[in-house]
Amino acid sequence: MPISRRDFLLKSAGFVSVSAMVPRWAVKDAANFEESLGAEAAGRTLVVLELMGGNDGLNTVVPYADSRYPQLRSRIGISVSSVLQLDSRLGLNPVMSSMMSLWNSNRLALLENVGYPNSSLSHFSSRDIWHTADPTLAQRRGWLGRWADEYLAGDPNPLKCAAISQTLPRTLLSDKVQVPSFVNIATYSYQTDGKFPGDRTNQMNAFVAESSPEYEIPTTVDTLGQIGEDAISSSNILQTVSTGYVSMGNYPAGSLASGLQLCAEIIHANIGARILYVTYGGFDNHATEDQDHDPLVQNVSDSIKAFFDDLDGHGKSHDVLLMTWSEFGRRAQDNASNGTDHGTSAPHFVVGDAVVKGIYGSPPDLTNLDSNGNLHIENDFRSYYGTVLADWLKVPDVPNILGATWPNLGFLNKSYV
Amino acid sequence: MSESAVNWTRDVAAHLLRRAGFGGTPAEIDDLFQRGLTGAVGRLVDYEAIDKSAYEAALAARGYNLLTTRGIQQWFLDRMAFSPRPLEEKMSYFWNLHWTSGISKVRGVTLMLNQNQTMRQNAVGKFDDLVVKISQDPAMLVWLDNWLSKPQRGNENYARELLELFTVGVESGYTQTDVTMVARALTGWTLTAGSYTKNDNYNGATFFDNAALHDTGSKTILGQTGNWNGYDAINIILNWSDAEGSKAGQFITAKLWTFFGHASPTDDVVSQLTAVWTSSGRSIREVLRALFTMPEFYEAHTAKKWVRSPVEYAVAAIRMLEGQSDFAAAASSLAGMGQALFNPSDAKGPDWGLDWMNTGTLFARANFANTLCTNRGTSGTRFDPNALLSGHDASTASRVVDLLAARLNVTDAPPATRLSWIDYMNRDDAGNRVTWTLDNVDKKVRGLVHLMLTSPAFHLA
Repeated sequence: MPISRRDFLLKSAGFVSVSAMVPRWAVKDAANFEESLGAEAAGRTLVVLELMGGNDGLNTVVPYADSRYPQLRSRIGISVSSVLQLDSRLGLNPVMSSMMSLWNSNRLALLENVGYPNSSLSHFSSRDIWHTADPTLAQRRGWLGRWADEYLAGDPNPLKCAAISQTLPRTLLSDKVQVPSFVNIATYSYQTDGKFPGDRTNQMNAFVAESSPEYEIPTTVDTLGQIGEDAISSSNILQTVSTGYVSMGNYPAGSLASGLQLCAEIIHANIGARILYVTYGGFDNHATEDQDHDPLVQNVSDSIKAFFDDLDGHGKSHDVLLMTWSEFGRRAQDNASNGTDHGTSAPHFVVGDAVVKGIYGSPPDLTNLDSNGNLHIENDFRSYYGTVLADWLKVPDVPNILGATWPNLGFLNKSYV
Repeated sequence: MSESAVNWTRDVAAHLLRRAGFGGTPAEIDDLFQRGLTGAVGRLVDYEAIDKSAYEAALAARGYNLLTTRGIQQWFLDRMAFSPRPLEEKMSYFWNLHWTSGISKVRGVTLMLNQNQTMRQNAVGKFDDLVVKISQDPAMLVWLDNWLSKPQRGNENYARELLELFTVGVESGYTQTDVTMVARALTGWTLTAGSYTKNDNYNGATFFDNAALHDTGSKTILGQTGNWNGYDAINIILNWSDAEGSKAGQFITAKLWTFFGHASPTDDVVSQLTAVWTSSGRSIREVLRALFTMPEFYEAHTAKKWVRSPVEYAVAAIRMLEGQSDFAAAASSLAGMGQALFNPSDAKGPDWGLDWMNTGTLFARANFANTLCTNRGTSGTRFDPNALLSGHDASTASRVVDLLAARLNVTDAPPATRLSWIDYMNRDDAGNRVTWTLDNVDKKVRGLVHLMLTSPAFHLA
């Protein structure tokens, strides 16, 4: 008989020793996750990396053989002779040598011209469209939040889906699961009066009691209570994840690297994380992009490489896939303030042993821009999501999550085990 | 609006003060209640009648370092907690959320402080004045790049957000061409050459309307063609209307209702407020006077439905406990709660409501509250538990619970929660049931206030 989320919480409340708490759900596999999905997906983790602000795809993956590129990017273009060549037409920004080494070790798939029809040039509309996988903006929940509702509802493990983020990304917003989010484990706990440590148990009991959702159909008050409950249960587990972890990756400085390293710690700790979400900002380069953009993509490149080195060092990379997204690419032509305005499609990266190395799509067509001077779409982002859902998470009914069937892009090895 | 449509009670006055301000002490609620609805609303919106010179002198004497980000955060939090004009600060805060700017990009702390003062000086004035002043505000010119825009291949960043976030909204029906045209109209609104430099930490920037950088060509904005400049573009945008009335009026009044009332304003509410917007010459003060007088503002589905933002949470806790603070703890805790004051992550800023709340931000709130509740020193953020009990019957646990629940406006907590608070008061360290005594104020009243501040009922205003 499955244990309930509430039983789990009470039995694992903060003052119970760690050893008494950890194996409870691990032993008693109450989740319907493993019952509903293929067994080969049960141990897998998907890491989603959001590049906030609209990453400039044309200065990330450069169509270096196209003579229009240096013309359109007369102010901020990457020197075409310096790119790291992926094939005869596309090359990585030269600061991305770490990503090039992932390419050379057959762990990188590149998706070109990803977007959706009739692109919104608004950060916020476009971000919501990507979060919810719905260009009509009718969906409240995120695409992985819907996945969580389907496969994690009632699961006593509160950390199967988590965000390494100050606020909860809408991608993970669900109706039935309060996805935890944190950036720092040390402060991720309910602190009580240091002068009276003996009163802590009473405080914790009362906090759990006042955080009890009361009704089947959640009101705002109930949702707040549920967040309190899940905060305590996820904190209890997270306080243990650093045990025995030593970094095996050469992480650069910055929030992205520390976020990915926290993912590595969580994966190393075997606590059953299925979805981890990391954000990295600063890509809205309307001005002085010539100074600001290279450090960003270099950090992305070096952080991802360090993350996979770390996983390799712990024998964990086999079951991890990382995917990137950003709300849009940028205008093909640079502007007079050495930056780029909002655009449409962009390239995205998928990293892991399960990828089929390659470039999925054509180089951006710089002769055929839309009436706003933006690129056309080649790969719909829902095909990108659908391929990950079907071939990494092994979701049997992808249209149930995405609302329709989208062509599989083939960048994942379907027989990978 | 007839006063009789609102059943004016002390609880209703407390609701008004939670929304139009940051929550009140019992004495402040009593004062507002005895004025009646019209008098209370007038007291809030016609706030120039309240002398704040003593407060301003006291604030200046506290000596916050206004050349640092932390210092201006403390200064603004202090104002919200202790100014005698609650709505002046609440509206300064609303505009701070609305017209975002972030120190991470602006760099000049003085520019951020000046922008905040501009918002305060125009907080309830004519909306047109605010739009022009913010569009020419040095911090905004840097934040959204308009200072770098030039006639050829102009920078669209500010023009887009002026339409999308600041005046009419993304669903109002403007096009990408309108964005480009507004950007062209705004060329030339830049900074005085050489005024934005590292030498003075980017603090000396001043606005300059540079005719040499203005695109003088013909532009068509929202269907109107002419050699428009920035003033013209703003007028065209603010005069834009449809069958439902002013586009900006609909957008801004709906946002004001969302901020003060709840997240789902009815068409009728927006229609009424948009009519006031237009008839008053786009006066924010008159829109607010109407809003705070509407029966809908006092209906049951409005009360205790607003999820406090982190700033409101920290300020209300200190204010309602009559605490003291240098606001250092609040300022340093806000980022963990998901709201870095004066440093939003993007031009929209965080979404409101339940989007503020997740497990991580909940702990950040709880741990700030723990600092407030357990600081027994003579500086920093603190409150006096004995002062809250003074003059009241605190002889039983239930009386203490009810007294403090009333003070913190959390009497709407479910009965089971009230019982768990009483149970907490009556437990010793071994978990045995004992009887609360006044000997335990330092432990249990501090602990109880921490529990109340971290309960769902206090996250809601």
